[in-house]
Amino acid sequence: MAPTRRVTNLALLVSLGLVLSVIEASLPPLLPVPGAKLGLANIATVIALYLFGPGMALEVTVIRATLGGLLRGSVVGLVLSLSGGIASTLMMILLYVTLKRFMSVIGVSVAGAVTHNVFQLAAAYLLVRQPALFYYLPYLILAAVPTGLFVGLASRRVGRSLEALSLEARY
Amino acid sequence: MHKPTRAAGRSTWKTRSGDVIVVLLVLAAAAASILLVSRANAGEKGSIAVVEVGGREVRRFTLGPGQASRRFTVEGTQGTSTFEIKDGRVRMVESACRDKVCIGMGWVDTAGRAIVCLPNRVTIRITGGREPGVDTVSE
Repeated sequence: MAPTRRVTNLALLVSLGLVLSVIEASLPPLLPVPGAKLGLANIATVIALYLFGPGMALEVTVIRATLGGLLRGSVVGLVLSLSGGIASTLMMILLYVTLKRFMSVIGVSVAGAVTHNVFQLAAAYLLVRQPALFYYLPYLILAAVPTGLFVGLASRRVGRSLEALSLEARY
Repeated sequence: MHKPTRAAGRSTWKTRSGDVIVVLLVLAAAAASILLVSRANAGEKGSIAVVEVGGREVRRFTLGPGQASRRFTVEGTQGTSTFEIKDGRVRMVESACRDKVCIGMGWVDTAGRAIVCLPNRVTIRITGGREPGVDTVSE
């Protein structure tokens, strides 16, 4: 892919992720549990992974989480979303690369959602050092199933359409 | 409907057996963590509420049955948090944070549990009474 094309696509995906996280921030929290989120912004990462590969997915996550954190002006939020985002992206890349033949975007997205939630809880614990936080672990793991499925289905739909447009133009 | 042909194409999107396995594994992990947490958290009602801001204790309250409702405020990093103590239980009623997750946590009265407001860095932890090794969960 030509460098200009790549940068343009990266910018598009980052903006998509930012817009989705703004939309998500305006929704009421899913559960009264720290770290439980729908993870709409993850759609941008999943699309990046499936249409452009692991490198692009990681770039989208890091840039989106950093910009999002700076825009919100919250250091705590930035640390939480970066740690959760990087961990979940790495997990999705691992599954995508090794188990591509046995697992579609749905499974990859659910695994990413679980990783995200567990890492956010761990990061939240490091921030407040409150062991009682781990009481929410089951809810966070459970919540990742519907949110991961939703993100996976949405990504599949968007990904298929983008593929049909051959927007990725890899060759 | 015409779709352009591509080498990797459609098959990447099709649901596969691995997807089902992932969901089942996650459900199993949730069940396991429920067992782990419920065993560690089979606590009794606590007798003390400890209020902390950024990990530093600022106030401490005694909890008891039949107490009349009392409200207190504490200054967090983003603003004021107001909580209510009533009948041996504590809940957050107002908070300067944006997501209000802490208010949604509702009433808390079990030793070892806590109301946590991450954005405002305010926590109210219940202690006193038997506190059956909450720490084992965090390891």
